[in-house]
Amino acid sequence: LIEGEDLKLFEQSLRYATENHTGAALDAALEELGWQDALSADARAAVSLLFELQGAANVISSALDRVLANALGHELTAVVLPALGQWSAPGVLDGNRLDVHGVGTASFGGHKTALIVARAGDSQVVVEVETASLTQRAVEGVDPSLRLVEVAGDIGGARELGPAEWRAAVALGQLALGHELVGASRRMLELAREHALERIQFGRPIAMFQAVRHRLAETLVAIEAAAAMLDAAWLDHAPQTAGMAKATAGRGARVAVRHCQQVLAGIGFTAEYPFHHYVRRILVLEQLLGSARSLTRELGSEVLTRRQLPALLPL
Amino acid sequence: MELDAFRKALDDWLDEHDDELAPSYTGGGTLDQKMAQIAKVRRLAFDAGWARWGWPEQVRGFGGSTLLRAYLSEAVTARDLLEPGLYSLPEVLGPSVITFARPELSAKVLPPLLRGDEVWCQGFSEPGTGSNLASLTCRAVRTGEGWRVTGQKVWTSLSQYARRCVLLTRTGSVESAHKGITALFVDMDAPGITIRPIETMDGEQEFSEVFFDDVPVPSDRTLGEEGQGRAFAMDLLPYERSTALWQRAAWLDRRLRDLVGAAEPDALDPTALGEVTQLVHAFRARSRTTQHRMAAGEELGAETSIDKVLLATAEQALFDLVAEALPAEVTMGDDPESERWRGEFIYSRAATIYGGTAEIQRNIIARQLLDLGNDR
Repeated sequence: LIEGEDLKLFEQSLRYATENHTGAALDAALEELGWQDALSADARAAVSLLFELQGAANVISSALDRVLANALGHELTAVVLPALGQWSAPGVLDGNRLDVHGVGTASFGGHKTALIVARAGDSQVVVEVETASLTQRAVEGVDPSLRLVEVAGDIGGARELGPAEWRAAVALGQLALGHELVGASRRMLELAREHALERIQFGRPIAMFQAVRHRLAETLVAIEAAAAMLDAAWLDHAPQTAGMAKATAGRGARVAVRHCQQVLAGIGFTAEYPFHHYVRRILVLEQLLGSARSLTRELGSEVLTRRQLPALLPL
Repeated sequence: MELDAFRKALDDWLDEHDDELAPSYTGGGTLDQKMAQIAKVRRLAFDAGWARWGWPEQVRGFGGSTLLRAYLSEAVTARDLLEPGLYSLPEVLGPSVITFARPELSAKVLPPLLRGDEVWCQGFSEPGTGSNLASLTCRAVRTGEGWRVTGQKVWTSLSQYARRCVLLTRTGSVESAHKGITALFVDMDAPGITIRPIETMDGEQEFSEVFFDDVPVPSDRTLGEEGQGRAFAMDLLPYERSTALWQRAAWLDRRLRDLVGAAEPDALDPTALGEVTQLVHAFRARSRTTQHRMAAGEELGAETSIDKVLLATAEQALFDLVAEALPAEVTMGDDPESERWRGEFIYSRAATIYGGTAEIQRNIIARQLLDLGNDR
């Protein structure tokens, strides 16, 4: 595990990297500071620190691909994410024919091959395909700077690499996205807080008005609930807890968007103030590897079907 | 004893003594029945040693981590032996009394509290004083032997059962605001105390008004020094808003489980059920962190208001779901189980009111955690 002074140094380097680089440059910086090794040695430290900082700085990297590839037992390549809102495997394999609909991150086109998890009968397998064999659409959408790629294909000659631990990989990806949502939410709260203290109306900072204070307090509560769920999910290693954490972080981020945007008022609605970048990012991150809505509904259905609640993390 | 060993051994003991520990009533029980049940569980758990772990040796505890007593509270709640609201008062009052009382006093009065031989009440709120301690008016005046207390408290839980009261009094001038407050440890059978129970909308008489008319209190019953009442209250409130809440998570989980078992298959909306499950787990996750921080000796403060907000949110969401999914029980049922669901639904309306309202918690979060400046 990465602890004590090492942890502090690691966090400082990650902070510097995320505050100064994005995209391929951030990937290079992460490579240089040994983030991939850290991921293998101490997944919790590597994922929670990087993704919170990445969310706070509103930058992008291919770290999510690495988290998923690592969890699937492979290295350094692109991984096709499920379609928006879902976490079910993005491919269907029939013989050696692969049908896939999903999403790639910004670095997708830069890789020669991509990993795709596909359903094959009752099981799930990891398949490797040439990225060039897939149809790719560069997504502008609500958050162009995230540079997602919509990926589709119905192709032959897919190479099966073996069974997929997809649920476990999804759980790690959900934790990464949960931390990124928390990082973005904390930054929005900082922006709104600073504004509330500086903006004077009726002769005093608007931070003096209880309606404003309570919105910001509510935001902090939502963020801390998400942070606590993420901690719990790291401790109990249950995929169901990771899903609950992602849902709580997604819902919390939307609470943060709503309250912080209202407190920032006009300034937060402009393109020149950075707030809108976070609003955009959160809208998309909320949809990756299961939205709060779909995860919450699934959880409820599962409880009803099995007549059993998720296990409690022991004290 | 380590937590894992304690957990195992306590679980075994609870299994073995299941019959002896079980309540004699079905459903929620009356307040008298609930109080008798809590006293019984405390006595059995104390005599078998379990209720002594996590408390210091000076009060006949066995020492060890506070996590041990947290687990005891969780275990008895998860088994539906008792309800957390009434059980947790010693968790709220005990630690601060140990810190502030003279050692001889706490050595004498804590053991009967922990053994369930006596109940204590918390005399903080007044008709004109909710969360604003500076406006406290219940007056204590120095005499040769100690203090004479005159004034009124309100919302005093379980005062009709209480042998002692942890009382905040005004000992300085009104202008001295929060500086002129002193905490006293008062015997409820002292002359001059009158209790008038308040019936709440769930039909219980959990709270009372308590009137003090020239009530004598010896000097050695002062908790801390004269003028330290606010420090006492600030020491106590984090317990009220955090560590004492741990067993609520076990209770919410238990009642959610009961709801899933009791509701017709199509009565529960999966999305609403999923969200309540997440809220309960998020509160528990937060509270778990707080328990571990306390056990590690960290000083708890304003951040416990987040625990309280999460509890109130989860509790109301759960019982809103109960009202939707078990409408016949909540609105029409007159059997003990229905009455319990109805009582809990009604009580949950107060979750954003008692122990500092949802608004007070948000004020604390805004002022102390977000550093938004003083709004007064």
